[in-house]
Amino acid sequence: MDNTANSRNSDQNIAIQQELKLKVARKEILNSVIPYAGFIFIIVFFTIVTRGKTVTVSNLTSLINQCFTITLIAVGASFVYAHGGFDFSIGGASGLAQLMGALLLQYLGTPIWMCVIFMIATTVLCSCCVATISLRLGVPVFVASLCVRSIAKGIVETACQDAEIILSYERFKFINNIEVKTIILLVVVAVGYYLFEYTRFGKHQKAIGGNINTARQAGIKVKKEIFLAYIFFGFCVGISSVFSLFRDCTVTAQSGSGIEFNIMIAIVLGGFPMNGGDRSKIPKAILGALTITALTNGLIIWGMDANLVSGFKGLLFLIIIALSYDRSNGKLVS
Amino acid sequence: MSSKLILSAKGVCKAFGLTRALIDVDIDISRGEIRGLIGENGSGKSTFSSIIGGAQKADKGTFYLKEKPYKPTSMVDAQNQGISMIIQEMGNISKISVASNIFAGRLEQFSRFGFLDWKKINREANRVLEDIGAPEIKAEMIIDELNFEDRKIVEVARAMLSDPDILIIDETTTALAQKGRGIIYNLIQRLHKSNKAVLFISHDLDELMEVCNTITVLRDGVVIDTLKENEMSVDVMRKLMIGRESSGSYYRPDYDGRCSDQVVLEAKQISLRSYFKNINIALRKGEILGFGGLSGCGMHEIGRVLFGIDKPITGTVTLLQKDRKIPIRDTSVAVANHMAYVSKDRDKEAIILNASIKNNITLPSLPRLSKKAGLITKKSETELADAQIKLLSIKCRNGNQLVKELSGGNKQKVVFSKWLGKESDVLILDCPTRGIDIGVKEDMYQLMMKLKARGKSIIMISEELTELLGMSDRILIFKDGKLSKEFMRSEDLGEKNIIEYMI
Ligand SMILES: Nc1ncnc2c1ncn2[C@@H]1O[C@H](COP(=O)(O)OP(=O)(O)OP(=O)(O)O)[C@@H](O)[C@H]1O
Ligand SMILES: [Mg+2]
Repeated sequence: MDNTANSRNSDQNIAIQQELKLKVARKEILNSVIPYAGFIFIIVFFTIVTRGKTVTVSNLTSLINQCFTITLIAVGASFVYAHGGFDFSIGGASGLAQLMGALLLQYLGTPIWMCVIFMIATTVLCSCCVATISLRLGVPVFVASLCVRSIAKGIVETACQDAEIILSYERFKFINNIEVKTIILLVVVAVGYYLFEYTRFGKHQKAIGGNINTARQAGIKVKKEIFLAYIFFGFCVGISSVFSLFRDCTVTAQSGSGIEFNIMIAIVLGGFPMNGGDRSKIPKAILGALTITALTNGLIIWGMDANLVSGFKGLLFLIIIALSYDRSNGKLVS
Repeated sequence: MSSKLILSAKGVCKAFGLTRALIDVDIDISRGEIRGLIGENGSGKSTFSSIIGGAQKADKGTFYLKEKPYKPTSMVDAQNQGISMIIQEMGNISKISVASNIFAGRLEQFSRFGFLDWKKINREANRVLEDIGAPEIKAEMIIDELNFEDRKIVEVARAMLSDPDILIIDETTTALAQKGRGIIYNLIQRLHKSNKAVLFISHDLDELMEVCNTITVLRDGVVIDTLKENEMSVDVMRKLMIGRESSGSYYRPDYDGRCSDQVVLEAKQISLRSYFKNINIALRKGEILGFGGLSGCGMHEIGRVLFGIDKPITGTVTLLQKDRKIPIRDTSVAVANHMAYVSKDRDKEAIILNASIKNNITLPSLPRLSKKAGLITKKSETELADAQIKLLSIKCRNGNQLVKELSGGNKQKVVFSKWLGKESDVLILDCPTRGIDIGVKEDMYQLMMKLKARGKSIIMISEELTELLGMSDRILIFKDGKLSKEFMRSEDLGEKNIIEYMI
């Protein structure tokens, strides 16, 4: 009579179960290895096709500097993307902060530490604007951040229309010190990782991204948490723009532009879900950031036209989205 | 006999990753048959029915429909071939009209020169709605304006649109009030009379006895037995389902409805436009207060206002603790002061589908788990989640499995357990046992009694009168947004006494 026991525990079914186990394990390993493999592949590929030009000392220095900037931002952006905020203001905010810092130094002779604080305040203010606009007026984050980006970019472009602002490199060389940078980077990554994985702050962001109704009904103050995420985000962008400014001590109309798109690609490239939620992970964002940086750099050294590079990246973005986007939401049956 | 066979499924297997949901399932359905499919949560009922209904594919198995090989490619394809399904979860597409939902996936039949003939679509939709007995739902309405029950009825309309040979109803009735159930029972009878077939899934054994004429029992993905009409009884079903004897009386044994006079939650003159008006409620310490009523009576919305989700246009909700009066302005105040709420709309409000079981269960408890510097250790999370998984026997691989991979009843257990883990003093439960199998239901009622004994207060909003009668100290019956009658717990109180005040 009791054919469950027979059926489940028959030799044949146990064998099938074993096979399934193997299959699942194989798939899991594959999924976790692919992003890393992609990164290594890009490095190796460009080293070969450029006959080693990507691994010269000067290019590596510049590559490391770029990675440094984008990793800082990726850590902050993880918090915003985790709750589903699709922010696009980074480049504008960063450019504006650099402009402000340079102007203060150049014309008012403000002490450098005050400048740094001021620059960070600028980016925090920008991201708070995005948060306020989208929360108060109920506009999507993407639209709100696009507005903020345009305003900031407009200011930078107007100011740098006639001439670039150039600071004396020698005076600020000490900020460009690699040890200082590494320590700051490690601290930001560690703090970010801790907040994201081990505290309420990060967990709430993921919950909001997963299902905002559930988050609210679990007693989370959704608006407040979102706002906090933007403050942290702005802070990270602020630090990165300080280092961007002092790396080449020049502010041009183009300062900061393009980072937002790189971050967007970085997020999806690393396997960070576009709508945020539970599967959001900072290492994924960082890995994506490093990959996109290496890719951009490689393509340019290889000799691809800069305009073509951004076209290429757009295409890449579409392909990843098409491959990874979770379409099950649109299905009739979950 | 074989000429009467309408559907035959042989050797059906289905695995999801590691989980084997169906193993060599054989099910034959004849014309005129109303086949009940029963089994514990996660036994494979939805998986089987959704394969038949075209929503997913079997790994292995042969299917014959009306003696022809049957291999549906989608739900719409299945429907075209004669099998319609009403799914367990909410299956609507939001933000579009009722008519668009009813005709989703089959609108092209109304296109003329590339334009859709909306007049005709709406007329057709209204005809179907009227035909199934829900003329008050109109084709032009936007689906989100409808309440839970009416949205489900729209799905029924979609299923009946093509005049199916087999109608699959997956665990739908327990979430519905009298109106929706009536509609479905009528349709079942109609199909039976016209020599068609129904596959009916439910956890309500009495309902199954009444509705079905054959019952198949699944356990752990395997068919255990099929009962003919003369072999069917509630006791036999219960035993086959859970594989052991059970007492069967899972409600409260006592009829003592007295509790302390201390009021813990008070609502004064609350109103919410178009749902209810000037309602007063006082919940006492250690009380189980039941809310009952027909669909549209406003009881679900009252629950939402009590928890601070929706703001009332008049009146106040106050939580009374020892010497403090706390106005419930929003959900964060409610949760911070130890209130809990289980929403009826599970997938949309109560769980994060794309998150792990663990993260769902720990979500409201995070403030408690936070140690110095806000640290929440993985260990404390896992401990909390594992304890709850064990307590409610949630069927899963481990706490890291995604909730969307769970069966309907197991999702509901996750919702319940996240509030059990939080240690709440006032619990508002909207259809808490919906879709839960009898074994675990028994455990849940036991837990509610334990909570009561520890001085916790519970508001239970339910469509099931037996549940209200079985558990409540006091029952409030609502009708058209007003309180219609209050009953105290008593042995003499029966469903008949109550229904009178509902309609
Ligand atoms: N998409 C999926 N991914 C992984 N596992 C799944 C998936 N869908 C179902 N399962 C598993 O298959 C098993 C059978 O699930 P199914 O939904 O058929 O149960 P059920 O009998 O309908 O239960 P309930 O009474 O709770 O609705 C469960 O163990 C469930 O976890
Ligand atoms: Mg099910």
